[in-house]
Amino acid sequence: MSEPPAGSKAVRSDPPPEDLKRERDTFIQQFFRRGAQLSEELLGDIERLRQQVRDLEAENAKLRSQIASDTAIRDLLRKIDELEEEKRQLLALRTRSGGAGDEFAERFAELEAELANLGTLQVASVQLHASTTVRRAFRNLRELLAQFLGAAQFGVYWEADDATLVPINVEGISMKEARAVAIEDTPAGGAFQRNEIYIDDIDSSLGSIGRPAALIPLMMSSQRLGAIVVFRTLSQKSRFEPADFGLLKLLSTQAASAIVHAHLFSQAGRRAPSVQAFIDQED
Amino acid sequence: MAEYSCLIVEDSPMMRQLLVFALARVKGLKVTEADDGVDGLRKLAGQKFDIIITDINMPIMDGLKLVKRVRSDPVHKDTPIIIITTEGSQEDRQRALSLSANAYITKPIQAPQVIAKVKELLKIE
Repeated sequence: MSEPPAGSKAVRSDPPPEDLKRERDTFIQQFFRRGAQLSEELLGDIERLRQQVRDLEAENAKLRSQIASDTAIRDLLRKIDELEEEKRQLLALRTRSGGAGDEFAERFAELEAELANLGTLQVASVQLHASTTVRRAFRNLRELLAQFLGAAQFGVYWEADDATLVPINVEGISMKEARAVAIEDTPAGGAFQRNEIYIDDIDSSLGSIGRPAALIPLMMSSQRLGAIVVFRTLSQKSRFEPADFGLLKLLSTQAASAIVHAHLFSQAGRRAPSVQAFIDQED
Repeated sequence: MAEYSCLIVEDSPMMRQLLVFALARVKGLKVTEADDGVDGLRKLAGQKFDIIITDINMPIMDGLKLVKRVRSDPVHKDTPIIIITTEGSQEDRQRALSLSANAYITKPIQAPQVIAKVKELLKIE
């Protein structure tokens, strides 16, 4: 409380009434209590805000992490797509190259088979024309038919002047049996008349004298001289394969001339013609 | 230079020629020919072969006797043998295989079949 100014007469005020004093004290106490309460509430608010900040920061960090993780996943998904595409391309390439490989192997096998067939024909042709006697010619012919074609019963027939077929060499059947059959009357007869190779559609191992499995007309140039009749084949050979057709054709065009040449060579005393014989040749 | 040697025992010159022609397709294979079983044994006395191909029906000594002789010879007992024959019955096949032949091919032979069997037994790719 301040002093009264100098020269002024000090006037002592009356003490405040008790009730006012109590009221004042109560107010002060309430004021400070409220202040303390507000302070506490403020501190609490501050603490809650701090907690919220911490929570937000944690959530923020989590979100950042999530975003980073999502990016990584997106990257991985993109990578998977790329790899899937690469795999599709490789599979397509493999299919294409695999197909080409199969095609190549198939073609290679075809060529090998073709080469083998040509080899067979070459050996057959050489052996046929290497015969210098009729006996040898027939032996070679029999071997060819048995070993290369799998013929079990067959006969070589020559055409007589009356156009009938007469057996001149047989294998697997007797000459008597071969003579007994009129080839012209068998299913192969028609093909023979047309100078065509005949192959019956039955199981060739089940062919018979009455129904031959095959007939090969023996041609010399355009002249028909006879026929080879295959009555049946070995049990393990039930049909003629495409590979056999080359051999059948070769026999048709070359067997007759091999037999005729062997016969003429034998008749000439197995002597080759002299130079003069060729000079004197008219045609 | 030949890597493998093959002995063909076959009395038919035509069949021998066909086999020689076919086996010329097997790279590195040198082929020796014999007319019959006795000739085959003569050739075997002077050389060890990697594979033997023999016919069954031959004069003087047939293929089955030859196989027996080969299997009883310590030098050649493990040599792979292919038997070629006209017979196609199961009995004949069993008879040939019971003599420890490694394969059995029936006539008429197809060159690709012989080539494949030789390659298989010699383990050639």
